[in-house]
Amino acid sequence: MHEMAKVTLENEMDLILAHKRSMKLAEIAGLSLSAQTTFATAVSEVARNTIDGGKSGRLILNVEIDQRDKYIVACIKDEHAHNISRAGLEYAKKLVNKYNISTKGTETSIELFYYISPTFKIDIQKLDEWRLFFRNEPPISPYEELKRKNEQLQKLSEKVQKSETQFKTLTNSLPLIIFSLDLEGQLLYSNEWLIKYSGETIESLNKNRWKTFVHEDDYNTFLVLLENKIGNGKIAIRLQARLLDKANGEYLWHQLSITPYKDDNGLLQYWTGFIVDIHAQKIVEETLKDNRELKQIQTQLKESQQSQERYIEELNRSNQELQQFAFIASHDLQEPLRKLVYYSDYLINQYSSSINENGIECLTKMQNSANRMRMLIKDILIFSQIDKERINLNDVDLNMIAHHARQDFELVIDEKKAILIIGDLPVIKADERMMMQLFENIISNSLKYSKKNLYPEIHINSRVKDDCIVLSFKDNGLGFDEKYLTQMFTHFQRLHNYIEFEGTGLGLAICRKIAEMHNGKIWAESKEGEGATFYVSLPTYSNVHN
Amino acid sequence: MNTVTILIVDDDPDDVLIIADAIKELHPSIQIVSAVNGEIAMEMLTNHSDLKAGLSLIILDLNMPRMNGTQTLMALKENQKFEKIPVVIYSTSVNSLEKEKCLTLGAHSYITKPLSYKESISIAGYFIQLCNIPSLINLPG
Repeated sequence: MHEMAKVTLENEMDLILAHKRSMKLAEIAGLSLSAQTTFATAVSEVARNTIDGGKSGRLILNVEIDQRDKYIVACIKDEHAHNISRAGLEYAKKLVNKYNISTKGTETSIELFYYISPTFKIDIQKLDEWRLFFRNEPPISPYEELKRKNEQLQKLSEKVQKSETQFKTLTNSLPLIIFSLDLEGQLLYSNEWLIKYSGETIESLNKNRWKTFVHEDDYNTFLVLLENKIGNGKIAIRLQARLLDKANGEYLWHQLSITPYKDDNGLLQYWTGFIVDIHAQKIVEETLKDNRELKQIQTQLKESQQSQERYIEELNRSNQELQQFAFIASHDLQEPLRKLVYYSDYLINQYSSSINENGIECLTKMQNSANRMRMLIKDILIFSQIDKERINLNDVDLNMIAHHARQDFELVIDEKKAILIIGDLPVIKADERMMMQLFENIISNSLKYSKKNLYPEIHINSRVKDDCIVLSFKDNGLGFDEKYLTQMFTHFQRLHNYIEFEGTGLGLAICRKIAEMHNGKIWAESKEGEGATFYVSLPTYSNVHN
Repeated sequence: MNTVTILIVDDDPDDVLIIADAIKELHPSIQIVSAVNGEIAMEMLTNHSDLKAGLSLIILDLNMPRMNGTQTLMALKENQKFEKIPVVIYSTSVNSLEKEKCLTLGAHSYITKPLSYKESISIAGYFIQLCNIPSLINLPG
């Protein structure tokens, strides 16, 4: 059955309309004028009963094409009250070729069939044309016009409602925030996501201008956007900001995009926008950046490590060379020098008769120089050997050290009739060889710079001060002006000409180095002509100096 | 009568010559034998029994290649055949700690190498004394 037109049956006006439509369908189906009238009358009869005693009445005009025959069919549907008769139906039955009455629930359906001439050709195209004809049929009366408009509006509103529901469902199902703003930046619409995520309502967001939602560090930028750019903006705006996820109390990075919506005249109407969670992306970005920086630092570290290793290597190498030099100085340089001393003496002693006075003087000078050089080499060797690599800490009895030193200077002590008074000295943790050197150098110094008219007297004592042992070496020698103190402990600094007092200028520098190696200190007190006291303080538990 | 023999163990030929000359000057009949290091000295002592028979003194340098003075001293004192022969350490070094170490190891004494002719003669005289034979001339000093 092909539906052609529809007429609701509610009042007298509808009845006229039903009649007219039926006439028209019969006409375009090629029926004669009398046949048209007969069909329309039959429809009117039934329709009148429906208007009088039925509810939800309507007429549907159809075309039926079965294998043998073609009909125009008027189908009148209603919910008819049983107590009101269908007087018209009886009459109508006689007017049509065929009829059919059926009931479905409370609804009754009456179909009236009227033959279309078999010679009259009907195809799909024709049916479409007819349908179009009825749809465009000009209104027969202002009433019909109104009715038709109403129907159209109703349909349209249904459609709009349907599409709006679809749209809402769609926006709500998207994993992003969608919204629209008016020109003052007030939210007009937003999908559920914004409400769910922010824990705010559109009203509250509008009221606090998103202040509770946007991170305080990003809020100023956001506010500029909301208050200035939106009012006069013409192009889409993008902004990255941290937004508060109410459920977790966490601020997550989001990308805001808003686009102006303009009407046909190019006038700004409102803004539409969406907000996407870019937190993961941002974190990856930052991690990558951190990673890059880390790698850079790593590379720098590696490079500096490598150069440090090179320095250490270089240092070790030069240290080794220095040690080699020390060995050469100790052995290979000292030995030939000793020979030089010995043989020049041999010449002076054994060949004095064949060498004249000048020659002897030259030989003596040569011998003296060689001797001085020998001492210098010896001291340089000692100086270079005092380093923390070689330090060997043990319990050292300083009494033993002092007595050994006395033995070593026995000849000089006897010769100068010197007195060495050794007090009670402690046992300390120190390097034995270095302590020996320290004592020897200070004692040697005192013996060397003694007064010619006075027997040298040296007092060695110790006392405890805080965590230190302070050793004192007091003599009755020449003394010195204290302004030379710093100079005295620096290597190769001498206060006297070597003709006056032989020496290398390294003795006290060696002492200072030894004291420092033991985390100790050395200093002296003196007045010129009144003797000198040298002090060495050493920690009770000496640690190797790093 | 056995010839008195002194063994000088020193890698420096000049030093050997200086002290040998000084000894010869004082006592020409003393036989002087030398070895350039401890290893050779030990070999000589082990393989030449006649050397050992007349050996009165060993003069031992400290700083030598292959087998140094301290090592040689220990080897000598550990061996029953040689332990009685007096050993004098003869070195440039004047470190008293080293001196004491050598004495502990069994050295008879410790002599610093001479820097003058007089010194060399005086040292030679001391060595001859240790050999328990009378000196031919009067020692200087």
